[in-house]
Amino acid sequence: MPVLELKVNGNDCQVLVEHTTSLLEVLREKLMILSPKMGCNTGDCGACSVILDGMLVHSCITPAMVASGKEVITLEGISASGELHPLQKAFQDNHATQCGFCTPGMIMAAKALLDENPKPTEPQIKKALSGNLCRCTGYKKIVESVMAASADNPASGS
Amino acid sequence: MALEVVGKRALKYDGMSHITGQSRYVDDILIPGTLTVKAFRSPVHKGRMKSIDTSKAENMPGVAGVITYRDVPHNAYGMEPDQPVLVEKDIRYKGEPIAAVAAINEKVAYAALDRIVVDIEEEEPVFDPLKAMEPDAPKVRPEGNVYMFGSEPFKKVYIGDIDEGFRKADHIIEETYFYPDMEHSALETQVSLAVPEAMGKLTIYTVSQARNFHLGMLAGILKLGGDALQCECINEWSGKTRSSWRGKTGMNRVRLEGYAVGGGFGGKNELHADHITALLALKTARPCKWRWTREEELLYSTHRGPWYVTIKDGVMNDGRIIARYVKSIHDGGAYIGFNAYAAGKFSYFVNGPYYVPNLRCEGYCVFTNKPVASTMRGFAVAPGTFAVEVQMHKIAEKLGMDPWELRFKNAILKGDQLVTRQVMKDPSLVETMQALAKRAGVTLPDHLMRMTSESNQRI
Amino acid sequence: MTNSDFFAARDIHEACTRLSQSGKEAHILAGGTDLMVAINRRRLFPHKLIYIGQSGMDAIEVKDGHLVIGAAATHTAVIQSKAVKDHAGLLVDACCSIGSKAIRNIGTIGGNICNASPAADAATALLALGAEVKLVSAHGERAIALKDFFTGPGETVLQPDELLKEIILPLTKGDSRWGWLKVGQRKADVIGIATAAVSLRLEHGTCRDVRIALGAVAPTPLFAAKASAMLEGRTADESLISEVAQAAADETSPIDDARGSAWYRKQICGVLVKRILTAATK
Repeated sequence: MPVLELKVNGNDCQVLVEHTTSLLEVLREKLMILSPKMGCNTGDCGACSVILDGMLVHSCITPAMVASGKEVITLEGISASGELHPLQKAFQDNHATQCGFCTPGMIMAAKALLDENPKPTEPQIKKALSGNLCRCTGYKKIVESVMAASADNPASGS
Repeated sequence: MALEVVGKRALKYDGMSHITGQSRYVDDILIPGTLTVKAFRSPVHKGRMKSIDTSKAENMPGVAGVITYRDVPHNAYGMEPDQPVLVEKDIRYKGEPIAAVAAINEKVAYAALDRIVVDIEEEEPVFDPLKAMEPDAPKVRPEGNVYMFGSEPFKKVYIGDIDEGFRKADHIIEETYFYPDMEHSALETQVSLAVPEAMGKLTIYTVSQARNFHLGMLAGILKLGGDALQCECINEWSGKTRSSWRGKTGMNRVRLEGYAVGGGFGGKNELHADHITALLALKTARPCKWRWTREEELLYSTHRGPWYVTIKDGVMNDGRIIARYVKSIHDGGAYIGFNAYAAGKFSYFVNGPYYVPNLRCEGYCVFTNKPVASTMRGFAVAPGTFAVEVQMHKIAEKLGMDPWELRFKNAILKGDQLVTRQVMKDPSLVETMQALAKRAGVTLPDHLMRMTSESNQRI
Repeated sequence: MTNSDFFAARDIHEACTRLSQSGKEAHILAGGTDLMVAINRRRLFPHKLIYIGQSGMDAIEVKDGHLVIGAAATHTAVIQSKAVKDHAGLLVDACCSIGSKAIRNIGTIGGNICNASPAADAATALLALGAEVKLVSAHGERAIALKDFFTGPGETVLQPDELLKEIILPLTKGDSRWGWLKVGQRKADVIGIATAAVSLRLEHGTCRDVRIALGAVAPTPLFAAKASAMLEGRTADESLISEVAQAAADETSPIDDARGSAWYRKQICGVLVKRILTAATK
């Protein structure tokens, strides 16, 4: 069984995995990081989205071993020293959650966007979030939240 | 007393939990020793199971337990208990659960499914509800493919005399509308975690939208209170006295814990997984978790069943609908569930928000060899609303009348009696449409803007 | 790491050697956006994985008068590459329509080709760009036209011990025009119902190097040879464009499936070709 070494939310981790174990399984079942969710297990819904070495990926279809030596950031890891990330604050203030199941993946996708493009247009936001499904909100407040966060966001992202 | 919250902006109380990733859903509950559950499902749409042999699966290393119908204390549940937890003989839809395994991990669980041996005699299925209504159609269930409401094969509501109304009418406008089936596909699938507690008790972490309901059903299935699990009640839509599933004792031995639910929309109103995880937890004495795959969710979970709605209206030249006949056919799939109730509920709303003095609705609940239909947003009303409102447009078109005017003309006013025999005390379609027009930037003529819902205001 | 089920090749030679040792037991893993889906859905149970995502097979460069794209280049890398933008804008457009950001970040061009879906977007665009592919094994290498690479739905000429190394494209010259259109049930994360890719060069109003390719309307991504030849060396006008579009549709052999009917697919791909040609030949 291969040993996987990776950094998750700033912490060095070592786990035993099989060659086909997904990154999602590693996060949820071995590291007890529960914010990435299993929605489809086929990379179609985005509920499992995390940031891998600065890149948004669907952890359910990312083989865990591909993350070897890399850094994973999940929702648990985006609040710098206890302060809410502007996206988190915006999602709360703008009512962008209902059941909350899509929220972790959605915020990570939005963060990946703002890290690359601090002042996106609405079409850019929609395109960036097009890999994340929400069955509750109808997306409007989610898009508004990302717009609001980008207005607050320092240009360098965090 | 001053209102403290109404009219003020309030933040969602669980919003903070969601945005920090701390919300816990059933799949997030991690208990050491939890077994993974997978179901063995019928490969055929319709058939008879002649035998089932699970011994090879049970003997596999890593398999803690396998259940079949033999392990179910009372293998019937539902609003009118017609649905088995696990198939005993008759298979009514492809994917119907026949057996379930609890194993140390998913790989072993799937391998165990492959070792279950069944002998099934396949039969000809029927999928189309219109075909299912024909006398020579394959029988989905022994009682026939059309639910009996008392002595009639449909839920009947009527008021006045539609034949007289049709005679008097200047126009007859008849149309059939089809409202297709829909899948909720909430982002979280069906998930259930059953944990055996001391003294034969059970905690079930559930996504149920109807925990009290399901608690009763589970008590019945598990026969927790011994044999006292039935009470007599008048089943209002069949008019017959029927036994209910509700267990009168023993419900205190099952605790349904709800956590955050990743979307329901009516798709988590039926028992999907809790009964099976419960049985496996009791059999294996270990926590058992079953998380449905997205495929299982899309194929086998309850969905909104399709409706065929025929509306025949008798309309006067001035736009008044004086008679309406509606025939609705609800395709409920393989079991009763909420579907008889749906056909009934539908029929109370076929006038829409309009006053129709002569009305008759025949609401059919039909069975087909498909997964069970059930609740979904606007259950049994949305399909009717769609049909009624499109029909209004067709009437307006036929008469060359403004669709707004037509609706104001037929709006329910104070004092109108509906088919349910309710006399309306405080209707407000008129005011609602006026406000809507303003919002939509539509300028309505004065006589419509001046109208109120008072009984003497009919135009 | 000799007997590991997960072998991360450091370069293409290691990958080829490993592949020749493992034979049918091993699957090549680049981005995994198709492979992992098959594994998660329990359609595939690979005993071993040979990971090429960090083997240097992702270089994109202009070399020896060609644009060479490493098979392990991700769709995102292709979209962001200046070389691709300059010489294969059609590929950028096609890759932008694949999946979603998360899929494009890790999914690869080579994966799209080797998965050989009849609806493969990058592959369809590459057909219209006149791509060649280089296949390597422990025993040697060969280059073939992408046109000759696909043999059926999910099937290619790739041998069990062969890897797709790189895609070779001609550099653009002159007044290069192109268009990509994809019809789907949504604007992201969909397999196309029908797709059209067109590339040509305008030389004083005459269409040269015309290549029309269609996706999701045949057992493989389809190079519409007859339609392409019909326009080659001619000046496009409305009636010729209609003829060419019809000819392209006539070359297809679509099926009915969950995403669309054969009838619709045949109709719509003609419409797509017409739209692209009308815009591209203005």
